[in-house]
Amino acid sequence: MALIRIDGDDLVVVIEGLDKLWSFKGSLTIPLANVRGATADPGIASGPKGIRAPGTHVPRVIIAGTFHQDGETVFWDVRDPSKAVVVELADETYSRLVLQVDDPRATVALVENALS
Amino acid sequence: MHAAVGLFGGRAYDGVSVDDLVSHLGVHRNSLYKTFGSKRGLYLIALRRHLTDDVRPLLDALAGASDAAAALRLVTSADLRLLLLATIERAPVDAEVASEVKAALAAVDQAIADALGVPSDLAAALTAAALGILLRGNPDNATTALARHIDPLP
Repeated sequence: MALIRIDGDDLVVVIEGLDKLWSFKGSLTIPLANVRGATADPGIASGPKGIRAPGTHVPRVIIAGTFHQDGETVFWDVRDPSKAVVVELADETYSRLVLQVDDPRATVALVENALS
Repeated sequence: MHAAVGLFGGRAYDGVSVDDLVSHLGVHRNSLYKTFGSKRGLYLIALRRHLTDDVRPLLDALAGASDAAAALRLVTSADLRLLLLATIERAPVDAEVASEVKAALAAVDQAIADALGVPSDLAAALTAAALGILLRGNPDNATTALARHIDPLP
């Protein structure tokens, strides 16, 4: 699970609990200028994810960490795909973040409103 | 983009999943995110495309309307599904959608005002009536009955 909040001009993502361990990441801070949008996307977890490095992928249990696919680097922290939110980035190490959040609808509204 | 206009015009915003977009638009999920940033980014582009492809021609046609009946018929026969859904569903929660919708409806008002030579508040009332008729499934006698009472306009 991830907590997403807006802190001034930054989007701050905090990875919670043991997912920190599985994903090799505690938190991420991204300038809002490099955030292109957020989308609730329960279907994304069933698609191909590419090669993990470093990270953890136990199908149907957890997808966590850094994955490489088609020249893109994507950070995942998802156990329950129904709560997955995709945050698209520009000019960052990660092309996108796929995060499980408590309330996808509220998270999408939070990020999209911060951008407009 | 035409497929996106059809999808977003056909059902509620939340009812269109990224899976739907990926399968109907024939693009990969990753390139969808890369190109549009988010579902909302794609929605905004689809909405603007709808305004260009469907509302703009309506404005051109309205310029040739000779009476209220003609103006009403033009609006009630246009494909305005995405504009109507956006007005009802997205404009109250999305300022960018609200401003697109507001501008589009104001342009329809203006086209009617210019074509019929009526004040802008009466033109806005005609637009509102026409959209209402469209929402109710365009019962033809509604347009006729209304037009009989307001034509000939000054």
